[in-house]
Amino acid sequence: MRILIIEDDQEAAEAMRRGMTEAGYECELASDGEFGLEAARAGGFDVLIVDRMMPRRDGVSVVEALRREGDATPVLFLSALGEIDDRVVGLKAGADDYLVKPYAFPELMARVEALSRRRETGAVSTTLKVGDLEMNLLTREVHRAGTEVDLQPREFQLLEFLMRHAGQSVTRTMLLEKVWEYHFDPQTNVIDVHISRLRSKIDKGFDRAMLQTVRGAGYRLDP
Amino acid sequence: MDDATPALGGERGTVRTAMMKLPRLFRTTTFRLTLLFLALFAAAAAAFLGYIYVATAGEVSRRADNEITREMNSLEATYRQGGVALLNTAIIERSAGDRPFLYLLMDSTGKKISGTIPASPMDDTGPGENWERFTLTDTDPDGAEIRRPARGLQKRLSGGEILFVGADVGESEAFVVGIARALWGAGALIIILGLAGGILVSRNVASQMQGMTEAVAAVRGGDLRARVRVRGVRDEYDDLAEGLNDMLDRLEQSMGGLRHAGDAIAHDLRSPLTRLRARLEAGLIEVENGKGDAVQALEQALVDADNVLATFNAVLAIARLQAAGRAPDPKPFDPGQLASDMAELYEAVCEDKGLDFKAELTPRLTVNGAREILAQALANLLDNAIKYTPAGGAVMLRVRRRSSGEVEFSVTDTGPGVPDEDRDRVVQRFVRLENSRSEPGSGLGLSLVAAVAEAHGGRLELSEGPGVIDGFGPGLRVALILPRSD
Repeated sequence: MRILIIEDDQEAAEAMRRGMTEAGYECELASDGEFGLEAARAGGFDVLIVDRMMPRRDGVSVVEALRREGDATPVLFLSALGEIDDRVVGLKAGADDYLVKPYAFPELMARVEALSRRRETGAVSTTLKVGDLEMNLLTREVHRAGTEVDLQPREFQLLEFLMRHAGQSVTRTMLLEKVWEYHFDPQTNVIDVHISRLRSKIDKGFDRAMLQTVRGAGYRLDP
Repeated sequence: MDDATPALGGERGTVRTAMMKLPRLFRTTTFRLTLLFLALFAAAAAAFLGYIYVATAGEVSRRADNEITREMNSLEATYRQGGVALLNTAIIERSAGDRPFLYLLMDSTGKKISGTIPASPMDDTGPGENWERFTLTDTDPDGAEIRRPARGLQKRLSGGEILFVGADVGESEAFVVGIARALWGAGALIIILGLAGGILVSRNVASQMQGMTEAVAAVRGGDLRARVRVRGVRDEYDDLAEGLNDMLDRLEQSMGGLRHAGDAIAHDLRSPLTRLRARLEAGLIEVENGKGDAVQALEQALVDADNVLATFNAVLAIARLQAAGRAPDPKPFDPGQLASDMAELYEAVCEDKGLDFKAELTPRLTVNGAREILAQALANLLDNAIKYTPAGGAVMLRVRRRSSGEVEFSVTDTGPGVPDEDRDRVVQRFVRLENSRSEPGSGLGLSLVAAVAEAHGGRLELSEGPGVIDGFGPGLRVALILPRSD
């Protein structure tokens, strides 16, 4: 997977590249908006990581320009601006996700992975299948190895998100944002509790646990 | 005019000093407008005065001419009746009377036949009528020579004789001259008074504007306390000045809020950063001495850094709400729906911890607010309740409409509660009661909730929970009260 990092903070960009390279990704750096736009136009990237505030051309303008030109490469915005309004502006410009600085590296990785995957699942399907777990999006029924699993509506949404990102780490913040649509960090382990409930429903009684806890990052649904 | 001059001296003095002191005055819009109006007014006054001149002075000289013409016609009639002889007699008769006319009858060569003056003042003795102005030289009874303006009409009669009739117009002429002088004086007075008035008005306006310009300059220079003087006469300048002052008040308030926020952030972050630094230092020393585990020290430092960030985010959120003084982008929404979402999120947490969770939500209410930050506030209240209530206790979330029309979100727990005297204090930043120090948290939860309430024009109320039951309690009830939305 090729990633373009458009970030004027050299140190932060280097740290990102080190981490990404270690995780097996190919990274390119651009030190400001103009260079970034040029590099992105050259194409061939799976995900763009774009800093919001940069000299010469800011992140919003870069993404707007790319979207105008019909470039649909997934974009993750990085920003020190975390207010709701700022996020809305960023997403409206055409970014696919928004991460507020400072962030934990696993959070960044999880989101980049999620974005790269989004591109691959182009076809609309009415069923999701991960390992022996099956989800029917029309009847809203879930089966594991043929046994029906009874889920509450929110548990269904949570599992759907995990299945769509099977094999990837998803963080608690991502779950709260994408499943519950809240943009704050609760002090207590709200997400953990919901995950453990879901886990008891899909993994209980099976030899192999599908829903894994990823230390320092979040959770991962393995096939 | 001569009398008026000393009186105007003062005005002229003012004008002169004004010109020297305020050369800028002449560049002001008001002064230019005044000049324009003065020009228009002077043109109107000139037309008016001209009309007066024609109607008075013109009339006076026309009347004199008419009388001369009438006398001429009368004498001509006499001539037609009885020829030169009768005319001569009539002239002699009339000269003797007290008629104000001058007569002269000449033969066709211009030689005097009879009359009151020795010779015609006119050179032209051509046919038809000829008018002439001339000066009459007379001798006073006491011998002095006086010259008086006169006007005469000379006509060649049908028999070739020349008849001159004139009149002394000295008095009417003096009247006309008097009128003309008065009109010139009036014109000058209009221009001088207009100019002086214009300068006064301009100075007045200029001084008003200068006050505002100075205030703006002072603010631009960084003095946010500068204000424009309001004279209290309730005119448009006062309105503008008040508007400007109001704007500056708000600006100062908001700047003050930001400065306060900056101070607060600096203060609030110093202690957690100090803790982080101390831990890193201690970790380093231990590792150097071969006692500690480096990985563990780093992990602990990471946890501390995360706490600093959480604190920073909370402080920033509080500061922003306080600086803005209002909720960002408020929209009407159903508070019961919001509480129900939060209940769904937290019910599981309660259950997990062995707490009984209940939600009592009045449906179909409306509040106007920022849903996202209210959700955050509710999350903080629920977090707190869950954190401080021991297993076996209960947490209750409630949304209801008060009889006052206000909408109340409340979270009640059966934890140890907060003593009456501490309730105001726990809302303040970083205040954590002694027995809660072992629990994680920044101590900003309730401060943020209070800031959210205030930003919505509402308030936070802390009271005792359900009381002591079965070893639990007395509990705490925290109510976030929002004003009625209609």
